[in-house]
Amino acid sequence: MNLTFFLLLSLLLFSAGLIAVMSRRNLVTVLVGIELMLNAASVNFMAFNFFVAPDPVVGQIIVLLIIGLAAAEVAVFLAILMVLYRARHEVDAEDIRELRG
Amino acid sequence: MSPTLLVLLTIFAPFVAFGISLVFLMRRPVLAQGVALAGGAVSVLAALLLLAGGPAEPVRHLWFASGNFQLQFGFVFDGLSLAFGAVVAVIAFCIQVYSIGYMHHDPGRTRYFAMLGLFGWSMLGFVYSVDLLQAFIFWELVGLASFFLIGFWYEKPEAIAAAKKAFIMTRVGDVGLFIGVLMILNLTGISDIPALLDAETGLLAHVSGGTLALIMMLLFMGIAGKSAQFPLHTWLPDAMEGPTPVSALLHSATMVAAGVFLFARLHPLFLASEVVVVTVLAVALFTAILSSTIALVERDIKRVLAYSSIGQLGFMLAALAAGSLFAGVLHLILHAVFKALLFLCAGSYIHRFETNDMEEIGRLGARRMRWTTAGLLAGGGALAGIPPLAGFFSKEEVLAAISYAGYTAFWLVALLAAFLTAYYTFRMIFLVTLPARMEQGAKDAAGDSPWVMLVPMAVLTAGAVLGGLMMGPLGGLLGLEVPSHSLISMLPALGAVAVGVGLAWWDFGRARAPRRGFVEALGPLHTLFVNKWYVDDFYRATFGRAVHAVSRLLQKTEEKGLDGGFDNAAISTSRLGGLIARLQNGWVQSYIASVILIVALAGFYLGIR
Repeated sequence: MNLTFFLLLSLLLFSAGLIAVMSRRNLVTVLVGIELMLNAASVNFMAFNFFVAPDPVVGQIIVLLIIGLAAAEVAVFLAILMVLYRARHEVDAEDIRELRG
Repeated sequence: MSPTLLVLLTIFAPFVAFGISLVFLMRRPVLAQGVALAGGAVSVLAALLLLAGGPAEPVRHLWFASGNFQLQFGFVFDGLSLAFGAVVAVIAFCIQVYSIGYMHHDPGRTRYFAMLGLFGWSMLGFVYSVDLLQAFIFWELVGLASFFLIGFWYEKPEAIAAAKKAFIMTRVGDVGLFIGVLMILNLTGISDIPALLDAETGLLAHVSGGTLALIMMLLFMGIAGKSAQFPLHTWLPDAMEGPTPVSALLHSATMVAAGVFLFARLHPLFLASEVVVVTVLAVALFTAILSSTIALVERDIKRVLAYSSIGQLGFMLAALAAGSLFAGVLHLILHAVFKALLFLCAGSYIHRFETNDMEEIGRLGARRMRWTTAGLLAGGGALAGIPPLAGFFSKEEVLAAISYAGYTAFWLVALLAAFLTAYYTFRMIFLVTLPARMEQGAKDAAGDSPWVMLVPMAVLTAGAVLGGLMMGPLGGLLGLEVPSHSLISMLPALGAVAVGVGLAWWDFGRARAPRRGFVEALGPLHTLFVNKWYVDDFYRATFGRAVHAVSRLLQKTEEKGLDGGFDNAAISTSRLGGLIARLQNGWVQSYIASVILIVALAGFYLGIR
């Protein structure tokens, strides 16, 4: 168990999240992908905190911040999703293009 | 009453009438007429009282002083001002009375009478001016008022064009006049006319030779513009587009008379330069010939009269330039009387028959309008110079002045012009009164214009017949001796007139007359006269085209350069916006992709560094 292992794990998580965000059309899956990417970042922070700079505990604080941010983001995202679904009866990312310039 | 009060009444009565009618009486033309007539009557009475009071010292009031320069407004009361001021007031009043009949159907009467007031005010102000700058201001006001009146029927495009032409042509001359006035001010610091005329301290004491000639030529430019002398004469015939009473006023006592009056006012200064004298004589007599020859072939009665005015103005200027103030002023005043009469007669025919064509007027039975025709005969005879009518005396004086000054060649030209004048005047009279045949029913159309039109014509007819009696009093007013001529010295002029009248009788008057002028046999000359010596065409081809080219150039510059430049800037901004807007495709995942890509690239860049 060393730093490289955690970095690889984080890379794996991030890539999985990115693929989900980029390739899926359902916005719920996109949300899941975003959560995965955020968690990958958290894993990274914790790993560096544990192996490189245990004191002070800046890494842990940032991770707590990310978790809080993620919770808020999910709340907003889901609220938007609900409204969208009510209005259009679909949550397909490719079909929702009202903001095209 | 003191002269100052009287002169203020003379000048400002028409102006007050103008202001009141224009401000309060726009919808009440009958009342406006009354106000205008009251103003005119006050003006006439005051002018006649002034004249009766005789010459007096000028009065001056300081308007403002700046450094050494003092501008004074005031009035001169010498014989010239008094006599001509009275003539202006009387003729303007006659024409106002006549206009009641002539314009009684016109909806814009208030404006018409108000403008007549403005015209009278500016001309009278000019005549009594003591200061050169004051005179210049009123001179321009005269031009402005005539612009309004020529373009009175503003819904007619020709009237607008004529008004603009009159304004612009006289403006060309006025530029010269203004430069001349400024040069006088610059060189002497004096703008007071009596002071300028003073032999010891006036203009002649300050400048001489070339400078003097230049100044006087510049002043003459303005006079040529106002008094319609070649090459600035073309506006006057076009000014016929205005109402006929306006033409009568414009051609007799105001507007065109202003130029001659200024020449008479500054007479000694013009005479001081030999170059100027000869130039003025040449220009004036050339103008007389040119306008008379055009009048030979003109069919429009008002235009014949317009060209005759140009010719007679040439006579006045020639007489003044030849050194005779008396002859010039006499012809100015008498011409004002009989030319106003002729225009009022023409207006009477036009009002009745609604055509300007002389042959048609004759055919429709002009002869039946006995009073008008009597006026036409008196005025025409005076214009031609038939003794003992007014024009005979003044024309005699003019010809004698040119002859006595020793300009024999010019005298011969003037005789030719007098012959042509007699010919075309009687051509007009014969065409109008002795038509080849009259329309059926012309007899029933007997009757004449209403009395408001006939009374002013009668007054002016009396003036045209008895004008010769004015010579003595006028000479006394001007302080000049009336020259006496022997019968033999009058013979050439009388002969020229007689030949002209006789030829007109042969061509148009006798029972089996060909009713074609002798000029029609002259081929190319006839074409030249019909086309008015191509002066208008020349202006159109040169100045007109140049102005149009410049304005087209400026228009293109504006359209392509300024306007087009801003248009292009706006269009390209909008297109750029369109291009950038394509990035906003609305597809969330493409946004994320670009974010990731940019972050990745940035990370890569930072990594390899």
